Amino acid sequence: MKFKRIAIANRGEVAVRIIRACEELGIETVLLHSEADVGTRAYRLADKKICIGPAPTAESYLNIEANVNGALAGGAEAIHPGFGFLSENSHFARKVIEAGLVFIGPSPEATETLGDKVSCKNLAKKLGLPLVPGYEGEDQSVEKLISEAEAIGYPVIVKAAAGGGGRGMKILKNFSEARELIESAQREALSAFGSSKVFLERYLDRAKHIEFQIFGDATGKVVHLFDRECSVQRRHQKIIEEALSPSLTVDLRKRMGECAVAITQAAHYRGAGTVEFLLQDGQFYLMEVNTRLQVEHPVTEEVLGVDLVKAQILTAQGDPVFIDRAVFQPRGHSIECRLYAENPYLGGVPSTGMLGRVHFPEGPRRRFEYGFESGDEITPYYDPMISKVIVWDETRSRAIQKMIRVLKDTTVFGVHTNIPYLIEILSHPEFIQGKMTTRFIETYFAQPIAEPSLTDAEKFFVEEAQRRVPRAGTQNLTSSSASIGDEVSAVWMKSWRGV
Amino acid sequence: MKLVVEHPRAGQVAGEAEFVNGKLWIHLNGRTICIDTEEKASRSKGKKGKNLGVVAPMPGKVTKILKSVEDSVLTGDPVLVMEAMKMEYTLKSDKDGQLKELFCKVGDQVPLGKLLAKVES
Repeated sequence: MKFKRIAIANRGEVAVRIIRACEELGIETVLLHSEADVGTRAYRLADKKICIGPAPTAESYLNIEANVNGALAGGAEAIHPGFGFLSENSHFARKVIEAGLVFIGPSPEATETLGDKVSCKNLAKKLGLPLVPGYEGEDQSVEKLISEAEAIGYPVIVKAAAGGGGRGMKILKNFSEARELIESAQREALSAFGSSKVFLERYLDRAKHIEFQIFGDATGKVVHLFDRECSVQRRHQKIIEEALSPSLTVDLRKRMGECAVAITQAAHYRGAGTVEFLLQDGQFYLMEVNTRLQVEHPVTEEVLGVDLVKAQILTAQGDPVFIDRAVFQPRGHSIECRLYAENPYLGGVPSTGMLGRVHFPEGPRRRFEYGFESGDEITPYYDPMISKVIVWDETRSRAIQKMIRVLKDTTVFGVHTNIPYLIEILSHPEFIQGKMTTRFIETYFAQPIAEPSLTDAEKFFVEEAQRRVPRAGTQNLTSSSASIGDEVSAVWMKSWRGV
Repeated sequence: MKLVVEHPRAGQVAGEAEFVNGKLWIHLNGRTICIDTEEKASRSKGKKGKNLGVVAPMPGKVTKILKSVEDSVLTGDPVLVMEAMKMEYTLKSDKDGQLKELFCKVGDQVPLGKLLAKVES
């Protein structure tokens, strides 16, 4: 069957990404959005839009019934869940199917087997794949979890069983902080994924995060589309990703790729998915499987010349994908930077408000995935990622050099962004040598970066601008961006370093 | 708007500049600068050390309160937990003393800069 209309149960840049793929395939789109997301690029680009609830995610983007009803009301035949929100919720996938719609993603059974980290580990064990030592039992009492953490040996990482994206994850360094952090992880897990279930793992303290993109086609065949490295993470949230990883030998790449295909093939996986590994001292451990498209999928697309979102849609229609065998020959190097709305000079405190000028410097093999434009508001309700910048070049060092220039030429006014932070990371010797581990950020960037002082010429420019630029530039009368009271700035300067 | 100024020694300096909600935003020499005259004035006042207890460092939702009124707290003690942009943040007291008053309850959506818990030495 060929879809005529697809509903998008997501927001921001990924909703735009899906709309573009649909447009190219001649498919109409219905955007299922919250009340807060009327002023976004996806809203302006979608063919139809249906409001599914108020701003809080529990009442809109995480509301299964509202999303299914919205898709039906919009006349869609299929739902693309994007990433985050309901994308890895098998209950949602079931409801979509029960309503007579196609869920663009794996079957609910595959999501349950692989997405639940505990059952995923059980499957990996059965297949003899390497795992990190840990506890994934049903007894979720804090006492039991603490005693298991003791048995595994600190440091121990607590993770949400249903989670991803760094939410509900905490590292226990010793007994004294175990209780507070386990409870906090359970609360975050409940709030972000609707289940407070957590599990424990030994925390590998100098590991690299390597993941393999896998894809199951409509005939049931699973292939891998090579690897990405995402070792640059802060609070378990990825910041910079690249393809391919600079850390793999030919032999490791082959063995890890086979491992990624083995576990997903065993679960009869369909569509795009990712198998995440930790690599430490030449040993790799299977960490988890993300049963959805990843935020960082564009770097794989750039080195292989594929369109993963289109491939997802075609597979859901029962059509063949990756017909050209040349897609299995990676070329060059691609890097993605996530632009977050935060203040890098204050340790990453979220920055909300209305966007002024937004400008991305176009050029060959530069790609900008963004969900907000000038006049749109960055609200505190959702993830702080406002866009992604992706570059490709023939070598890794040229890709780094290119990314730095592109970031310098990118303008976002109205909210602070992490661009200065990204540039410092990209310029760090350990990153340039490709030696970074998942502790790279906490080791070198634990403190807020220093705001460089202005040169005389720059000060002169600022003074001139204050005189010559009209004050009534971009303004939003309904904006809630409060002016900062005198007590707050002192707190900002201190307390944000520790969180 | 695009702005070109003539510096007496450095010559031409070109960049982008725009006021957004009262703050001046500038993109110059590959970096973005935000000029907020009000903020500067208040920050220097804040440096005098007017610590009050716990102030919301961002807009968000209060998800847990860890201390009760009349509890004694030390600087750095966790007092409450907030959630913003889907991440959880533990807010700590910025002074030693006794918790005198709470200005929020679990579930409250609080604005940036709101005093949430007052601590007196």
